[in-house]
Amino acid sequence: MTQKILIVDDDKEIRSYLSELLSDNGYETVTAVDGAEAVAIAQQEKPDLITLDLEMPNEWGPRFYRKISQDDALKRTPVVVISGLSGIKYAIPKAIASLTKPFEPAQLLKIVKDAIG
Amino acid sequence: MFRKILLATSGAPSTFGAARVAFDMAKRYGAEVIVFNVMGVPTKAFSQEVNDVRTGEKVEVDDEYRAWVEEELKNTFAKQIECVEFSKMVLTTGVPHREILRAAREEDVDLIVMGASSGESSAYRMGYTGSTLQRVAKAARCPVLTVHRETASYWGGFGNIVFATDFSKQADHAFKFALASARELECDLTLLHALDISGKVLDQNSIEDELIAARQRLRDMYVPLMGDFKNFDIEVWEGVPYVEIVKMARERSADLIVMAHHSRELDPEKARIGSTMEQVLMRAGCPVVSVSKPDKV
Repeated sequence: MTQKILIVDDDKEIRSYLSELLSDNGYETVTAVDGAEAVAIAQQEKPDLITLDLEMPNEWGPRFYRKISQDDALKRTPVVVISGLSGIKYAIPKAIASLTKPFEPAQLLKIVKDAIG
Repeated sequence: MFRKILLATSGAPSTFGAARVAFDMAKRYGAEVIVFNVMGVPTKAFSQEVNDVRTGEKVEVDDEYRAWVEEELKNTFAKQIECVEFSKMVLTTGVPHREILRAAREEDVDLIVMGASSGESSAYRMGYTGSTLQRVAKAARCPVLTVHRETASYWGGFGNIVFATDFSKQADHAFKFALASARELECDLTLLHALDISGKVLDQNSIEDELIAARQRLRDMYVPLMGDFKNFDIEVWEGVPYVEIVKMARERSADLIVMAHHSRELDPEKARIGSTMEQVLMRAGCPVVSVSKPDKV
């Protein structure tokens, strides 16, 4: 079964880059432009993993994370933080990894593969 | 998962909790319960006299005494014995821990169930585990389940298992048991590492760095072994380990805590039950099972 990854980022370029990178490697992707939209999409799509930007218009990453961690169906979904902010590893301490932009695609793919296969 | 359960009991009220768990489990798994009682500790070599384990009085072990103890035990656990398909009673004399271990080995049991201490033997409630448990836990080849007090949660309707690890080799065996139980019972499994920061003065970043590193270590160590089992959470709480483990069990309304004992000291002669384990046993609101050896998991 194809694993589904939700990409949450306000930057269109990053969304399409990640989407391409992950689908080239056999993952199905869905995208959201900010935390508010991402909650609705996550609930509907039940992704196997989420890549999450921190700084976004409307709803930021940490607030999105707090919302999904209260949702029984989503609370165990692994989250990879991908952000340009510094000190990001403290933003969502339970994230399985935190990557700073620009990141190595191979590194992300390894993290994703280790987490969901 | 469990075919034979050895319930080691003195027949005192402090073992009633353990008895309930043992019989509940047996009912659930169709397991056999061996109610095992050490009547007394011999006073002299080749003597017929023993010190009764409950009263401490000197008594002569004859058929009459044996029949009386058996009758007492049967009355105490009458209702529970009726509930399970197979149960038998074994009475013996000797040094309790040695006899329990001997019986466990001879009967090839999958689990030993016992109380953590003989309870309120003095003016205050005992704050440490009994010496029998200490010795049985150390040497038993099978998991040892202890129930210190009567609590609301019992094996039978399991929702959450907390597996507490210190990343030791013994904890690997405990993990196997925790995972197998969670699979069998189709319940949630919380993997917990309690980060010991007692006596240290750390700034917030160092604490968070250590928490992140410990979460990563838990993930690396145990997640690849999970296979298709998905109902697990990874948690690292900082503080005094036993407090955090008991707190987590309460927070999750856990029905079982799984831990390894004697993990710090590798030399079995020197090993004493871990102080964290001991405190968890005495304080947890649910049964605690300790696993250290790979034989029966």
